[in-house]
Amino acid sequence: MQDISLHLLDIIENSVRAEAKLVKIRIINDASENLLRLIIEDDGIGMDAATLDEAQNPFYTSKVERVKKVGLGIPLFKQNAELSGGEFNITSEPGYGTVLRADFELDHIDRMPLGNLKDTLLGSIIGHQEVDYAINLIFRERGMEQTFHFDAAAIKEELGEIPLTYPDVIEYIEQSLIEGIQNTNMEDV
Amino acid sequence: MKTLTDLKKIREKAQEEMKLRGGNVRMKIVVGMGTSGIAMGAREVMKTFLEEISARNLTDVLVTQTGEKGLSSMEPVVDLIEEGKPKITYGNMTPERVKKIVVEHIVNGRIVSDYVVATGN
Repeated sequence: MQDISLHLLDIIENSVRAEAKLVKIRIINDASENLLRLIIEDDGIGMDAATLDEAQNPFYTSKVERVKKVGLGIPLFKQNAELSGGEFNITSEPGYGTVLRADFELDHIDRMPLGNLKDTLLGSIIGHQEVDYAINLIFRERGMEQTFHFDAAAIKEELGEIPLTYPDVIEYIEQSLIEGIQNTNMEDV
Repeated sequence: MKTLTDLKKIREKAQEEMKLRGGNVRMKIVVGMGTSGIAMGAREVMKTFLEEISARNLTDVLVTQTGEKGLSSMEPVVDLIEEGKPKITYGNMTPERVKKIVVEHIVNGRIVSDYVVATGN
């Protein structure tokens, strides 16, 4: 993976596969703390302690259709966070869901860029209409705070039976995300 | 700023259109978004489908993302599913190939056999 938002996409797909109905994504860019933090929380089926342990091992995958039981998604994300002076942890409760947190040192030379956050979010929101997303982007610098909140459920309620793949809706969601990402300085992080 | 009022307008417009042509989904596009697909560029493939749908005003197709399909060596992989027809799986997708498939297959109904890696269920 070349950037953090590709890891985010991979994690969202894990949540969807875990039958999540709501995925909460929070990204914090805190210049004063030199911190870039991602928190992804879902209400999926969760994992027990043994599975959680295995999920962080590159020689494990939950994908039953796979012959080779190797899953690199989570181990690579963890490695990339730790390589940039950050931390990575997952907590999970069977039947309730999973919370993943990845911290990166903002100015660390080995930190990968955040990358194309907009395309990750746009594809996931429209490609999984059955899932609701609550997205919060938070930018902090010298006591100032800029935030952006995106609530997929509110948009779906407003649209009624109109699918998110309707051309004008794609454009609407894309424009909202572009504005939010710009306002919270998450474009070139 | 985008507001909910904008959404209301879109809804009214879409409802009018649906009255005219019915709300049928003619074709379903499924983009493989497993770890290896993502690493090989599946996000850009998804984005290009969304761009083309928007630019060509295709109101009768649905795009979804899905996990791994066991075709890792041919990622990114895309399925085109049309009722009453065998499923077509395209492999080694790029934004350029997506554009070609949208014009040829989705708009004009001609399968792009050069990019097909599997057919049927």
